[in-house]
Amino acid sequence: MLRFEFQIRLAGILSHILDVSEQVESIEIDNALPVTDGGVFLFLTVKFDDTVSETDIAGQLPDMDVVNVSQAAVNSQMYYLCVVTELANVSVLSLLTDQQAIPHRIVGEDSQLSVVASVRDWNHLKTVANTIEDEHGSLELIGTTQTESVGFPLGGDKIKQSMSGKLSDAQLEVLEMAYQMGYFKVPQEVTAEEIANELDISRSTLSERLRRVEHNFCALLFGPRQ
Amino acid sequence: MTTIIIIKSVDQEPTVREVLESVVDGDDTVCFLRLPTVRCLGSLVQAVNPMINYGVDYTINCLPEGYDTADLVEFAIDVDANRICIGISEKTLTGKARIDDLTQSILLHDDISGDVVVGDHAIILEELDYDG
Repeated sequence: MLRFEFQIRLAGILSHILDVSEQVESIEIDNALPVTDGGVFLFLTVKFDDTVSETDIAGQLPDMDVVNVSQAAVNSQMYYLCVVTELANVSVLSLLTDQQAIPHRIVGEDSQLSVVASVRDWNHLKTVANTIEDEHGSLELIGTTQTESVGFPLGGDKIKQSMSGKLSDAQLEVLEMAYQMGYFKVPQEVTAEEIANELDISRSTLSERLRRVEHNFCALLFGPRQ
Repeated sequence: MTTIIIIKSVDQEPTVREVLESVVDGDDTVCFLRLPTVRCLGSLVQAVNPMINYGVDYTINCLPEGYDTADLVEFAIDVDANRICIGISEKTLTGKARIDDLTQSILLHDDISGDVVVGDHAIILEELDYDG
């Protein structure tokens, strides 16, 4: 199989949401579920350049059927948005699936739609690219790689969403600080002592919080499904 | 088997090495097809000289000024190429081989098809079929 990345001009509902507010930095389709009469439930991750309230967001999208808005636990400028719209408003998604290509990532940013999708082979790539060019005018191939497996369709942000509410603010703080300072890099760029000093907590508190984070991650991976 | 290696720049030693080492067989023909912007292959040929296989026929050709993809496909048909190898000069942030305009125009050209293999330094279009 071939996985390829391409860009097209932004269109449809993602373009609409980006146009509504200058504060919207990017918007990604996490999932899409069909509903009756050609509609689709769209699950989106919207990144703002500043903190905004859930009411502001719903207020800025009065002509849209917004089902739910919730703030991401890991980033106060990121929101998960669920809307119902026509499938035609996400034409790139429907074109890909109509052509039996697997969409992995669809992100709108800077008036461009960046898409990662898997196709069977070169001929399939040509068919998919031609179909998208017919609908969207032009398409720019960005990159390609070979892959043995289909991979995970959409929802690259799933881990972040699944972790929502699973970590306390204190645990998130130590995890983010440890990550930002390079604690998890190989070789390690910082010691636990240095992170503890930065956060003004004891080394044992830091250690305990990091262990709880690890436990919660493992529970998510290996624990019972909830 | 005939293999075309498209030379977009003389810095493509890794591409040529990968193709000569992993793709080309002992009794193949290899056509170095340089773009008109590449003036001289001397340093590149010198760099890969130790890998020269005396069972392989090597030729050097040049695409005309103002060429388009049809010229390239026509050349591939003329030499009955089984493979076209295009250098990967850059990777994307996610590790994919970056596709430049030339590669895109070949990949999406109507008259050529086959299999795509993505190596470390080269995109190899093989089992080529030509229409038109």
